[in-house]
Amino acid sequence: MAEAAESPGDPRTTSPRPLMRDLKAVGKKFMHVLYPRKSNTLLRDWDLWGPLVLCVTLALMLQRGSADNENDGGPQFAEVFVIIWFGAVTITLNSKLLGGNISFFQSLCVLGYCILPLTVALLVCRLVLLAKPGPINFIVRLFVVIVMFAWSIVASTAFLADSQPPNRKALAIYPVFLFYFVISWMILTFAP
Amino acid sequence: MTLPQGVGSLQDGQLSDASSTSPAHPLATFFHLFFRVSAIVTYVGCDWFSRSFVGCFVTVLLLLSFDFWSVKNVTGRLMVGLRWWNQVDEDGKSHWIFEARKVSPNNITATEAEARIFWLGLIICPIIWIVFFFSTLFSLKLKWLALVIAGISLQAANLYGYILCKMGGESDISKAAASFLSQTVFQTAYLQRQQ
Repeated sequence: MAEAAESPGDPRTTSPRPLMRDLKAVGKKFMHVLYPRKSNTLLRDWDLWGPLVLCVTLALMLQRGSADNENDGGPQFAEVFVIIWFGAVTITLNSKLLGGNISFFQSLCVLGYCILPLTVALLVCRLVLLAKPGPINFIVRLFVVIVMFAWSIVASTAFLADSQPPNRKALAIYPVFLFYFVISWMILTFAP
Repeated sequence: MTLPQGVGSLQDGQLSDASSTSPAHPLATFFHLFFRVSAIVTYVGCDWFSRSFVGCFVTVLLLLSFDFWSVKNVTGRLMVGLRWWNQVDEDGKSHWIFEARKVSPNNITATEAEARIFWLGLIICPIIWIVFFFSTLFSLKLKWLALVIAGISLQAANLYGYILCKMGGESDISKAAASFLSQTVFQTAYLQRQQ
């Protein structure tokens, strides 16, 4: 497709090809979640593509039903979807009501991207579940989920904590903790 | 989140098309309609295509996302010269910016056809999704509700963004609506008199 020349008014357009630009931005944010350090990238250039991909992946992998069943995992799929998006929206509203200095979509962006460690945990859990069931199986999965849960919390607090007024930090972080806890619980208790 | 409208105008940085009757961006026009219509068709026909709720959900969601991205980033800019985006500045305040390109006089006929297709596609599809919303609600097929709500939000977001771009300097919605209506009524009356 022919690309019109971009005016200098749009600072996000350093390259004239919007698809590659957006894909690179998504990739960069995934890297920032994996190696969290104080940086503004997740907040400044927010996008919701990463959270969408992660949410769909999580929902697909958390299905229980068999393939030929009429009710093939339908309820679980929609459940996970709704829990993630509704939970993220609720946390965002909560942090805004507490006087946070972050916009609606930026908060959704951070919360969504920080689901990445838990998605990795789910992948690992599914692999581990292929092995012999037993207490060791469970302990391995528990360990992996706990580590990834901690990683998610650390990553999201690194980005979100600054935007809260100092005496409200715990009140703002607690729902995030609960959100990732619910997702971790769904992952840990998953049995195909 | 503040919503000030910063309106700029771009110089027409595009080469004028040699043929002024055919649309200048056939590929963009095709894709503008393709994703939206495919999403609607897949949603309606999913009972015939496959029995899998999940497959249908994911397909429609993917089509809606592709449509959102392509309308926002590509077809709006190419077909009607409008664009909108969000910018977060140093102190964390987010601004929504809406821009409209100054129309060059040599491409008017091609631009009009494209503009008509663009706006028709942009307006009709959210209305169809709203109809789906009510039909899902009243037939109590609630598991589809998440998908329909996602569809409405994605399509309405683009519609709202482009309407704000189009209104440009008119910060009063009612004035813009009144002028648009009066134009339409005048055209209709004129056509009727001609017949």
